[in-house]
Amino acid sequence: MTDAPGPYREESLRQALATDPRVMEQELDVSIAGDRVVISGTVPTEDRRAAVTEVARERFPDLQVDNRTIVPTLPASGGEERVT
Amino acid sequence: MIRIAAAGDLHVGADSEGTLRPALMEIAEDADAFLLAGDLTKAGLEEEAHVLANEVEGIGVPMVAVLGNHDLHSDQADRVRGRLEDAGVVVLEGETHIVHLPGASLGVAGVRGFGGGFAGASATEFGEPEMKRFVRVTIDAASALRAGLDRLTTDVRVALLHYAPVRDTLHGEPPEIYPFLGSYLLAEAVDTAGCDLVLHGHAHRGTEWGITPGGVPVRNVAQPVIRRAFAVYTLDPEAAVARSGSSA
Ligand SMILES: [Fe+2]
Ligand SMILES: [Fe+2]
Repeated sequence: MTDAPGPYREESLRQALATDPRVMEQELDVSIAGDRVVISGTVPTEDRRAAVTEVARERFPDLQVDNRTIVPTLPASGGEERVT
Repeated sequence: MIRIAAAGDLHVGADSEGTLRPALMEIAEDADAFLLAGDLTKAGLEEEAHVLANEVEGIGVPMVAVLGNHDLHSDQADRVRGRLEDAGVVVLEGETHIVHLPGASLGVAGVRGFGGGFAGASATEFGEPEMKRFVRVTIDAASALRAGLDRLTTDVRVALLHYAPVRDTLHGEPPEIYPFLGSYLLAEAVDTAGCDLVLHGHAHRGTEWGITPGGVPVRNVAQPVIRRAFAVYTLDPEAAVARSGSSA
């Protein structure tokens, strides 16, 4: 597949991260500056965080991949909110 | 008081085994019921539902869920639903479910909902068949929600959704994608039928707190938003009865 031209590259990776079975996260942010691609947002597991780097490297072998996604630790509730 | 634990957007995959269970094992100390607001699985695969089933089975509180868009991705929602129901999770799509607790009854009306956007900037049922079908999904979900809430005569009534009913809880998301995140029609249904709390997920970059134009509290319980395994909301059945009485 021919690589998408410059202005379309960020979105092509964003679409790939949303649909690739290894990741499937719809709400990751992608930005490319110079020879670096930065990806941020949250993913549920360390495996999926590693897959973000994998998918980005496959798509852009020439770019440096800066994977800033985080896997939040999810403590049990920690307090309640009184709604009514 | 009724204590409701809630979470959405667990996105459980084969790699999620054991990630939720430790926190969920404590849930019965904090809450009387656990409501799940969709995107329970990553790709909507039966084997992912199986992983989730093992995480939640036997945690000691009644569980009620709606599915999300991720749970529909692989066209096997029926099997996902079946696997979750085997583990004791009641899955709603337009139906209602009543949880009888010692001091009060909790009614849940559940729909996945869909997009379309919000008043002043929303899609209309017009033009291409594809567009009309898109909007129709939301209209049908909203009317099922309204009918469900109307049917419930419980002390407390909760609307359980995946998509958002208001803009408030989307704050943090790019405004361009609001039409993919929810619809005002869901809030209209809630405000017409009345209820005590609306729970939804889907908007991972949104915020937890919102309110419908009619004054019903809305909470976005997507795990990336609440940053806990589950949030807990307490509702006073007496206050709920007083409110539904005054608005009737
Ligand atoms: Fe989600
Ligand atoms: Fe979603």
